[in-house]
Amino acid sequence: MAGFSELVKNFAKTRDYVLDFFIYGFKVRGDFSQKSARTYDDERRRVESWLGGFVRYDDSRRGRKISITVDSGHIPENPLYQAYDARSFTDNDIRLHFLLLDLLYDGQAQSLRQITDALIAEYEAVFDEQTVRGKLREYVSEGILTAEKRGKTTCFRLSPDTVDGFLERFPGLTPAVKFYSECGEFGIVGNRILKSAGLKNDLFLHKHAYIVHTLEDPLLCDICEAICAKRGIILSAGTTRKRAVSDASETDISEYRVIPLGIFISEQTGRRYLAAFVPEYRRFSSFRLDAVRKITLSDEAEDYDAIMAAFQKNLSRCYGVSFGLRRTPGIQEPLKVLFTADEETEQFFIERLFREKRNGTVTQIGKNLFQLTVDAFDPHEVMHWAKSCIGRIVSVSGGTKEIRERFTSDIRRMQAMYGGKTNDTVQ
Amino acid sequence: MTLFNEIYGAYFRIAERVLARKTVSDKEIHEIIAREGFRDSVLFVPQKLLPQSDGSDWGLLKRNPDGSLSRVMKHPPVKILTLLHKRWLKAKLADPRMTLFLPDEEFAALSAALADVQPLYQPAWFRYADRFNDGDPYTDPAYRSIFRTVLNALTTHRALDIDYITSRNKRIHRLFVPLRLEYSGKNDKFRLYCCSMSRSGQPKGALINLGRITAVKTAPVPKNGVLTVDEIFEARKCSQPVTVRVTQERNGTERFLMEFASYEKHTDFDQATGTLTVQLWYDQTDETELLIQLLSFGPVLEILSPPAFRARAAARVAKQYELLHKLQ
Repeated sequence: MAGFSELVKNFAKTRDYVLDFFIYGFKVRGDFSQKSARTYDDERRRVESWLGGFVRYDDSRRGRKISITVDSGHIPENPLYQAYDARSFTDNDIRLHFLLLDLLYDGQAQSLRQITDALIAEYEAVFDEQTVRGKLREYVSEGILTAEKRGKTTCFRLSPDTVDGFLERFPGLTPAVKFYSECGEFGIVGNRILKSAGLKNDLFLHKHAYIVHTLEDPLLCDICEAICAKRGIILSAGTTRKRAVSDASETDISEYRVIPLGIFISEQTGRRYLAAFVPEYRRFSSFRLDAVRKITLSDEAEDYDAIMAAFQKNLSRCYGVSFGLRRTPGIQEPLKVLFTADEETEQFFIERLFREKRNGTVTQIGKNLFQLTVDAFDPHEVMHWAKSCIGRIVSVSGGTKEIRERFTSDIRRMQAMYGGKTNDTVQ
Repeated sequence: MTLFNEIYGAYFRIAERVLARKTVSDKEIHEIIAREGFRDSVLFVPQKLLPQSDGSDWGLLKRNPDGSLSRVMKHPPVKILTLLHKRWLKAKLADPRMTLFLPDEEFAALSAALADVQPLYQPAWFRYADRFNDGDPYTDPAYRSIFRTVLNALTTHRALDIDYITSRNKRIHRLFVPLRLEYSGKNDKFRLYCCSMSRSGQPKGALINLGRITAVKTAPVPKNGVLTVDEIFEARKCSQPVTVRVTQERNGTERFLMEFASYEKHTDFDQATGTLTVQLWYDQTDETELLIQLLSFGPVLEILSPPAFRARAAARVAKQYELLHKLQ
């Protein structure tokens, strides 16, 4: 046990292990070859300690597999939020935190000198001014304290806004925070508010929740800051392709200088992307957030507004999250997928077409025949969706020859795979 | 301002809960650690909270002559609403769903309280690429009124007299006990998990789309026993998991594991063949949705069992094969 701590300083490493346990769930100790066995054991123990009830063990010939298994639609709280509970700190950090809250309890403003002296006088706690100054500045930036100038002296006072005060003043906020703590962006912040107030979400469930997204939130925070300030970022990203079958190697990481413009989220594939402009190639591109390791803010982008305007214009041709590989849009023919559905008895499928067409158009072109037309940068994304309608696709035209041939070949291969004949009403 | 900050961490929370009490016993401290900490926190935190002769503790408590412990501070810790909290709340004010929770006056008052705060993000920066376009009408006053009545019954543990139209256009009017509100990001809809009484008086689980409710009012909870939401989940769970085999072609294994991350599952990777065998547990009422999702992987994925589920996939593939052959 010597040397082991439940707490960590670096979230990124923890995130890697939780991803491997949660998403892949079949790796054994030997598969984590990039790190030492000791590191693996420590990270495994932390995950077990945080996520106890959701950890599953299976013994195989290759060794013991650890996975995190949970139906995320049936739980009131994302268990991975516990990773955020584990930030390490020093003894001085925690002592100073509670002493400062007590010292400034009355809401009166005090200078650094007054605070340092009072720490000694009232609590016999000796801290040098530099330590106290650093903590006061940090707490001003966190919004725990406010700073004000009195002549040449900066004075500090406790923020008058408390969690309990806000929840009492705005009664509708409690259920709202319970909802947003599990559904929507940065749910972890809502969870922190609930925990601070001693509350739990006992009202809402989130179907189709990808609980692992929370592990990307620190990166997402940096991206939002960059978008807000219209700044570029330097992105360090690895590969997701090899991750399922091997240990992600540090050598696979590449750096990109990009201008962030937004976040694309696929509710169906569970992936989130950074949508950005890549000045080097003069084109828009998307980067999977789960592959991003680090984000560093760079300079303000001079022509940010013009780039954002062009990006907004391009969105109308983005079916999913991809800007495709073409440099010049408009060369490729729009993709047309023709579906069959009985107008009398299969209205549910026609409704589905309209509900899920996104930026495509649906037109009835004959009895029981409905055509989806999409002029998309990446027709592969349209075909991935269209394959969820297997059993109803009459024809595929436009797009590229490769896409049409792949669809035909896929259906032949699937027919060989199943060779089934029984009836099933196709939704 | 950072998300991963010790002030929001488990150990600070444990200390805050302990210091909220004027005096506290060793036993109570252990109970707080067990409740607020991680599984192993009881091995690490007590010696930092309890006064140690060598001064290695956090210096937050002092031992009293009667053996109890008191905080060294005069007041219980204040729980500040930090800038991160405020920026997050401000961002949520721009979400139309926020008006479901806050009546107009309260919404205006909260907006005024956060007037000087910069939102953490703007909803417009997030694009939900494949969200269905027939989501619930959050700004419709009638929908808002229904939502609030349902939420109120849920929080005050009352029953609901609900009138709604089913997906098959059938009108239902019955008494329900609300259990949980479920939100689906894909459908952008709320549904209510609830319990109703069958004609024989037996409790029965139900799931109602809020958008399909035409009238609702609160009512006293019936005396018959009601089901818990976990009992409803259990009743709706498939009797046998679906087993699929996924190959590495087109990055299939990685795509599959990511897409099905929200399911309860068991995975097995065969290094020799490079294939993944996965058992997925699902809600029986979502079977068609699951089938559609699995088939969209094309030949990269094969449904192995149960036989009836595989047969449904086979039938769709056969229909599709026939359609293609008709064309050629």
